[in-house]
Amino acid sequence: MINLFKTEWLKIKTYRTFWVLLGAFIVMYPLTFYFSASKFMAHKSADIKEEMVKSFIGLPFVFPKVWQSAGWLGGLFFVLIGMLFILLITNEVQYRTHRQNIIDGWSRMDFLKAKLTLLIFFVLISVAVVFITGLFTGLVFSDNAGHLLEGIYYLGYFALMALLYLAVAFVVAMLVKRTGLSIIIYFAIVCIADNLLWLMLTLKDSQLGYFTPLEVVDSLLPNPFKPGLLEKRTVSDTSLIAAAACYVCLFSFVIIYYFKNADLKT
Amino acid sequence: MAILSLQDISKNYGRVQALQHVSFEVPSSTVYGILGPNGSGKTTLLGIVMDVLKASSGNYLWNGKPGSNQQRRQTGTLLETPNFYHYLSASDNLKISARIKGRGLQDIDAVLQTVNLYERKHSAFSTFSLGMKQRLAIAAALLGNPDVLVFDEPTNGLDPAGIAEIRELIMQLNKAGKTIIMASHILDEVEKVCTHVAIIQKGILKTAGPVSEVLQSSAANNFLLAAADLAALQHILQQMPGVQNVQPAGEALLLTCNENITAEQVNRFCFENGMVLSKLIVKKTSLETRFLEITGKQSDR
Repeated sequence: MINLFKTEWLKIKTYRTFWVLLGAFIVMYPLTFYFSASKFMAHKSADIKEEMVKSFIGLPFVFPKVWQSAGWLGGLFFVLIGMLFILLITNEVQYRTHRQNIIDGWSRMDFLKAKLTLLIFFVLISVAVVFITGLFTGLVFSDNAGHLLEGIYYLGYFALMALLYLAVAFVVAMLVKRTGLSIIIYFAIVCIADNLLWLMLTLKDSQLGYFTPLEVVDSLLPNPFKPGLLEKRTVSDTSLIAAAACYVCLFSFVIIYYFKNADLKT
Repeated sequence: MAILSLQDISKNYGRVQALQHVSFEVPSSTVYGILGPNGSGKTTLLGIVMDVLKASSGNYLWNGKPGSNQQRRQTGTLLETPNFYHYLSASDNLKISARIKGRGLQDIDAVLQTVNLYERKHSAFSTFSLGMKQRLAIAAALLGNPDVLVFDEPTNGLDPAGIAEIRELIMQLNKAGKTIIMASHILDEVEKVCTHVAIIQKGILKTAGPVSEVLQSSAANNFLLAAADLAALQHILQQMPGVQNVQPAGEALLLTCNENITAEQVNRFCFENGMVLSKLIVKKTSLETRFLEITGKQSDR
């Protein structure tokens, strides 16, 4: 797998779009998070009404809740990485380099495994960025670091979310093949289709909506500014994690089955 | 043992039959041309044996074994168009090919020199002309000095000097004992370079074997004749049994007749009918003639 990643790294290390999109995530997300925290914490006791709101939602930029907040905002920015991942896969199809990789001696599974190493790379990088952002912000705004590790499991939830979002991007890129169309469909799924499905399924107080492909992980990282009283979810985190694992397996099966049997054309 | 053995390969795209029950064998150390008009199924055939396309039925063996990653690593292949990462340099693109093939990087400069691209090794692939892209693809195929090379239209996009260089390179590789499988629709290219040929039309294998045998199996003999009175000569020849066609060819006549008619018989028939020939040349059947005999003369072959 290390060898496969080294080959993937050769492909992307001088690709400008890769650095632009990855850089945008690595720079814009922490800055947005930190400045939001600064603004929020600066009005700590500005007036009584605002103080009441804060008492409902807790302290999103202080340990331990800072991990949930960092994971949640990281999720919003993560679509950049999803877009980048789509681009890297559809480029292979459009340049027909996926064919050449097979002709040169990779098996079809080698090609998929190589892309899996890239997927893992993106998950690890983004988890590291979320960790550093959460840690730094938490240390700046917390009175003490006693609760530092308390909510750190949200990093695990973020990693699962990143994995599932990239698995969806992988499926879309492999099946659609065209860069522009793949990105449009990916955004439509992430921003519209999954939320609409969630809305339809939760209208009558059903919990089924929390099991849609992306909501399973979105629900693990709820909006930290949403008061806990408004939370309607009763299904456990464990159920959602199990469902997310099932989706990852399903998407993996679709990708492997399709690619192993496909004619490699553009 | 044959380097490549195709056994009853068929390929359908929906209702379109791209290949129909194609079987032939590529002997070792030959230059094997796969000849056919555009859209005849040549690239599809090569795509199947390189595992980028799936055959609908039939199978193929490389050195008596089913195709594998290892075999593809030991085969240098240029299939259809040069496929490289547009933003990477020639050298970086070859590094990727070399890594996948499990070869060292030490060959890269040498193969770039072979195809006259060494000076442009740091230029991005996207800045290359069509001919340069084609030469880079040939360089990639040469990485690791493979014993078998598969070239699909190798001179596509090259200028006349480049075409001559690549033909020379193919013949040199063959002299060094390499087996070269080459798809082309250029008759002249196949005739000049190949030792063996398979002719495919509309996905059907029409004939296959050594070029000399394919040419010998021609159903016609051609002669170039001249006499003092060409019109009278043409009239006499049209009476001769076994003649298929007589047509003017400059200051002579081109006679096409059945394969069993010899030059001696033609000469005697003319003399017995009062015509003394000033010229009688046996015309060797060209691959073009043979190809047109097999595939027909319509442009929609």
